[in-house]
Amino acid sequence: MNQKWIYRLQIFSVSMVWVLFTGIAVWVFTLIRESLRLRDAPDASVGISIVAIPVFFTLAAVLTYVFIGLRKGRRKDVEP
Amino acid sequence: MERAPAQPHPDYPLLRPIENPGRTFYYIVGVLLAILAYTGYVYVRQILFGLGVTGMAQPVTWGFYIINFVFFIGISHAGTLISAILRLSKAEWRRPITRMAEVITAIVLAIGGLHPIIDLGRPDRMLHLFYNGRLQSPLLWDVTSITAYFTASTIYLYIPMIPDIAILRDRGVKPRWLYEFLSWGWQGTERQHKVLDRAMNILMVVVIPIAVSVHTIISYIFAMTVQPGWHSTIFGPYFVVGAIFSGIAAILVLMIVFRKVFRLEGYLKHIHFNYLGILLLIMSLLWFYFTFSEYLTGYYGHEPNEMRVFWYKFTGAFAPYYWAMVTCNFLVPVILLGIRKFRTITGILFASISVIVGMWLERLIIVVPSLANPRLPYPTGIYIPSHTEWILFLGGVSVFILGYMLFARFFPVISIWEIEEGRHESAKMVNERITSYMPDPQPSSAQE
Repeated sequence: MNQKWIYRLQIFSVSMVWVLFTGIAVWVFTLIRESLRLRDAPDASVGISIVAIPVFFTLAAVLTYVFIGLRKGRRKDVEP
Repeated sequence: MERAPAQPHPDYPLLRPIENPGRTFYYIVGVLLAILAYTGYVYVRQILFGLGVTGMAQPVTWGFYIINFVFFIGISHAGTLISAILRLSKAEWRRPITRMAEVITAIVLAIGGLHPIIDLGRPDRMLHLFYNGRLQSPLLWDVTSITAYFTASTIYLYIPMIPDIAILRDRGVKPRWLYEFLSWGWQGTERQHKVLDRAMNILMVVVIPIAVSVHTIISYIFAMTVQPGWHSTIFGPYFVVGAIFSGIAAILVLMIVFRKVFRLEGYLKHIHFNYLGILLLIMSLLWFYFTFSEYLTGYYGHEPNEMRVFWYKFTGAFAPYYWAMVTCNFLVPVILLGIRKFRTITGILFASISVIVGMWLERLIIVVPSLANPRLPYPTGIYIPSHTEWILFLGGVSVFILGYMLFARFFPVISIWEIEEGRHESAKMVNERITSYMPDPQPSSAQE
């Protein structure tokens, strides 16, 4: 497969990770908002759910960091 | 099938299963696919006819599916957790073990996570969780924590694999595009190594609390109800200990199988089994301590409903399973691993299989007796798993074997670059570390 296509595929996969994790964060936020509006959830439930959001974003950030770091860390003489 | 040219490599035994998988691989995959096809048929039948095809009925409304859910998630525990702890503590003997352990987590977590959906008579209702999920429910916390753990474990498995994927790419192994895509331009420069190290350090720290939280939250499904036998404050740590216990046993079984099948005697040495065997022994003692505490406090409380469940396990219908659990989880491992003469690879294999069986029985004993003896004035429930449930259990195990075989077909099960790094740098690093924490030499009395 063409190098350019592989690069595009890599960019796409990293973008999809962000889309997925943002989706999860939006979902958790929606549930928290609804439960607070309906006075349905004790505080601990809300707290536990909120903790999950930064975890997902940390994972996405690590993946992005590796992706960018490995590309920048390549030897200059073999850059396409 | 095209074969890549066998170029010389110091760790060729680790590349052999990828470059020359052999016919046996395809035969086994064929058998596993046949089992999965039958499992699929059985599951479709369950969707068409409903949960009536299972052995579940009032009051025992959770059976094999939830038992296997807890069991598989437990097995998944040791992988990433053990790997992260060994990496963090810079245990040099970890090098041939970590990847095997991490793969277990990724595969088994996916299998375990599907079981609650299988448990739904109408799996389409899973979508209600996304539209109308209630934060009050520990089941919803489970979805979040298992997703987080699965994602973290997969990333934690993948990132240290990048240099090895680059080795496969450079050797021209097919499918080349896949290795090209997954290696992300790895060339092994100093800067790339720094990036990889930093990312792994972050993940090691992130993964440990997530792993602990997952099984704690799974225990909440039980402990946050007021069912007799479930409503316990030590259920969280009890589940975590049990999960690590069964996970180490699973790692040991896999290591022994891979050592034999792929002829990895040069990589997986007796010392690795000895260290993990001792860890399994410690976990066995810890498990016994938690089990003892759990039942002793229940017995002293002497609450009538609690005691019904207690005696149901100790002398009632579930007594054979209960005592088999104690034998498998405590007596067998303590004898085989505690007595040095028996702590051979064969002895460790028997102890590990015994623990896996024992931990499955533990899940059975936690789930069924409490439901069979509810607080409400029902007669004692009976649960006999049906053919459907047994086949879906077999299907789950087959997916695990197939998943692991496919992984080993495309990627090295032992980290090649970490082994190379160990050969070149370990001795120096360990020496420096020992020098750094040893007390400084005391000046002799003559010098004073």
